[in-house]
Amino acid sequence: MDFRLGEKELALKEEIRKFAEAELPPDLVRNTVIDGEFRDFEFEISMSRKLAQRGWLVMSWPEKYGGRSASLLEQTIYEMEIAYWGIPGAWMGISGIQWVGPCLMMFGTEEQRERYLPLIASGQKDGVWCTGYSEPNAGSDFANIRTRALRDGDDYIINGQKVWTSVAHRARWCWVAVRTNPNAAKKHHGISIFIVDMKSPGVTVNPILNYYGRHHFNEVFFDNVRVPASNLVGEENKGWYYLMQSLAFERRSIAPTTYGNLKRILEELARYAGQTEYEGQLLSKNPVVRAKLADLAIDLEVLKMFAFQLAWRISQGQIPVYESSRNKIMGDDLMRQGAIIGADILGIYSQVDPDSEWAKLNGAIQGAYLGFPGQAIAAGTAEIEKSIIAQFRLGLPKSY
Amino acid sequence: MEFSFTEEQDMLRMSAKDFLAKECPKARVREMAKDERGYDPQVWHRMAELGWMGLVLPEEYGGTGASFMDLVILIEEMGRNILPGPFFSTVALCALPLLEYGSSEQKTKFLPQIAKGEAMWTFGLAESSGKHKASEVKLRAVLKGTNYVLQGHKLFVTDAHVADYILVVGRTGEGERPEDGITLFIVDARGPNVKMEAIPTIGGDRQFKVSFDRAVVPKDSILGKIGNGWHIADFILQRAAVLKCAEMSGACQAVLDMTSSYAKERIQFDRPIGSFQAIQHKLADMLIDVEAVQYLLYQAAWGVSVSLPSLWQISAAKAKANEAYQRICMEAIAAHGAIGYTMDHDIGLYYRRVKAAQFAAGDTDLHREVIAAELGL
Repeated sequence: MDFRLGEKELALKEEIRKFAEAELPPDLVRNTVIDGEFRDFEFEISMSRKLAQRGWLVMSWPEKYGGRSASLLEQTIYEMEIAYWGIPGAWMGISGIQWVGPCLMMFGTEEQRERYLPLIASGQKDGVWCTGYSEPNAGSDFANIRTRALRDGDDYIINGQKVWTSVAHRARWCWVAVRTNPNAAKKHHGISIFIVDMKSPGVTVNPILNYYGRHHFNEVFFDNVRVPASNLVGEENKGWYYLMQSLAFERRSIAPTTYGNLKRILEELARYAGQTEYEGQLLSKNPVVRAKLADLAIDLEVLKMFAFQLAWRISQGQIPVYESSRNKIMGDDLMRQGAIIGADILGIYSQVDPDSEWAKLNGAIQGAYLGFPGQAIAAGTAEIEKSIIAQFRLGLPKSY
Repeated sequence: MEFSFTEEQDMLRMSAKDFLAKECPKARVREMAKDERGYDPQVWHRMAELGWMGLVLPEEYGGTGASFMDLVILIEEMGRNILPGPFFSTVALCALPLLEYGSSEQKTKFLPQIAKGEAMWTFGLAESSGKHKASEVKLRAVLKGTNYVLQGHKLFVTDAHVADYILVVGRTGEGERPEDGITLFIVDARGPNVKMEAIPTIGGDRQFKVSFDRAVVPKDSILGKIGNGWHIADFILQRAAVLKCAEMSGACQAVLDMTSSYAKERIQFDRPIGSFQAIQHKLADMLIDVEAVQYLLYQAAWGVSVSLPSLWQISAAKAKANEAYQRICMEAIAAHGAIGYTMDHDIGLYYRRVKAAQFAAGDTDLHREVIAAELGL
């Protein structure tokens, strides 16, 4: 066992701190975990470009595709620090950077890699992707998808509907799971992955506002969308394997990001408690406040260890089976704890609109409160993740 | 960053597992709970032969010179098997501070005996409040000629009845802070004015009130310096906290394994109960708790083993283990159903030991306070 960070990692932390101080307004504490909203798209994409110029945006990719073959440990540190400082643009909607690129490197053709990866790596608008997975009848029961792709000469024709598609309103490309074999003995053996240009005729995007009016999710309709056969990723009907891999990538990224975000929130809460009095006593001297913040700090430390452990495991060339699920559950639970404890400490102010001047901590607590239920459901609900742990780590029979 | 153990450490763990599976089955644990001594001298002797008592003691004192992390691994396995007896109090509570703070005469006198399994030790700090704080130390030690005379008592002293020596935290003076004027005494446990009264506990481990009624201790029978001993008590509490986490970590893993196996075997509604999501999700929560305990333990243990300041990491590990061990046991009993509630089933052996573990080496409140301080509150 050894938990030392190396020179390279420590230097990276320092560089990111300097970047944040140079590029962002002072005291910015962001109130969303990942920028699925793109409220200020131009600003966020300009940050993506700057991060690309620093060699950070896709740092763990090979040089050939615009990365610098950074270790997963460095990548993990980067993700933690980006979230800590609230630097927008690091994810470009998440799909392209986190799994489309890596999946194309694993399963795509060289032609696909040359076509799509540089756009992501350079932090351009045309490098923004969305992922079409869920459908109205296929959420956790993901194999139940019906969006259909039919071969037609050198093309496929896609018809159907996706839902809860993050960032579709900004994406140039869609990584979409479709049914290519409706007669497969097992539903998940009839699924393929395609790349769809969101500018194609027949693609319609409708916003789905969240309960606070925030625009992360969309419906995406495919109405006879024609897609060249060269946009098939990997083999026809083998898509389930690729999408499982993409989910593992997505779930892995939750822990470092949540850790960084919450670490910042915890520090801000501690600072706030040290400056706020009630009945002549600083909140920071109140035993209940002290205990709650200590408990948050303890679980945050667990999340940190889980994040590093998963990164270490993957960097050893091992294929983690349940750890991504473990980390997602822990990350989501931490966000919930942070929202609840943060609101306890802010008291009546926890109800203030996060964008208002009345909001404490830049509205970060309200952001956590409003955001975590959506985050917890996305990329695998807690129930699914726990079932995965039970089945794959503890060897229990599949329950569904 | 490295999240695995060395080959030697894996071998140490395997050999400990094998030994304890043979020498410490649950039947033996139950037997020892009724035994007056509370441990089997033959097993104790074999452990000494394996070099366990002297694991981290230098070779010059008859030890193996292994690392603190190695001791953590060993104690994890002991916790997994609920090894009864005074290994923890002798080695974790006393051998470590003797090694760190003992004079060369003291080390030469006491450490080889410990390594050979020929001497047992325990530690007395807590008094009526049960809190491990200098302000709670009321036991008085007054210098009379060439001796100190001790007056007072200690509570929840583990395995005092078989100890040869007790390391006692007493007060020889006062200062500005409660920590001033604290002295650590090495007391002959069999001395005439040292009396013991058993405090029966739900865990079936051996805890005692030890009373010192004009107990005479030679004035050089002190660990460290007069009036300047609290930092030694701190050292003991920190090492003990990590090692108690190790014991709890092993226990948590055992409880998870037991429950997971049961879930696969127990058939109700024509299926193993482990095929029901409610049980699966309980077990998944338990698994996450187990790994949380483990990783915080290993981080704290590593920090100690490379002499990095690790105060809050130790506290995070202990606070987490305190809560997780209890939760894991409660969920495990629920998953077992009625059978988990019986004397025959082993799960109760663990559940009943949670309380002693939670309050050893600092309770959750104490450790939360360390973290609150670290947060700058």
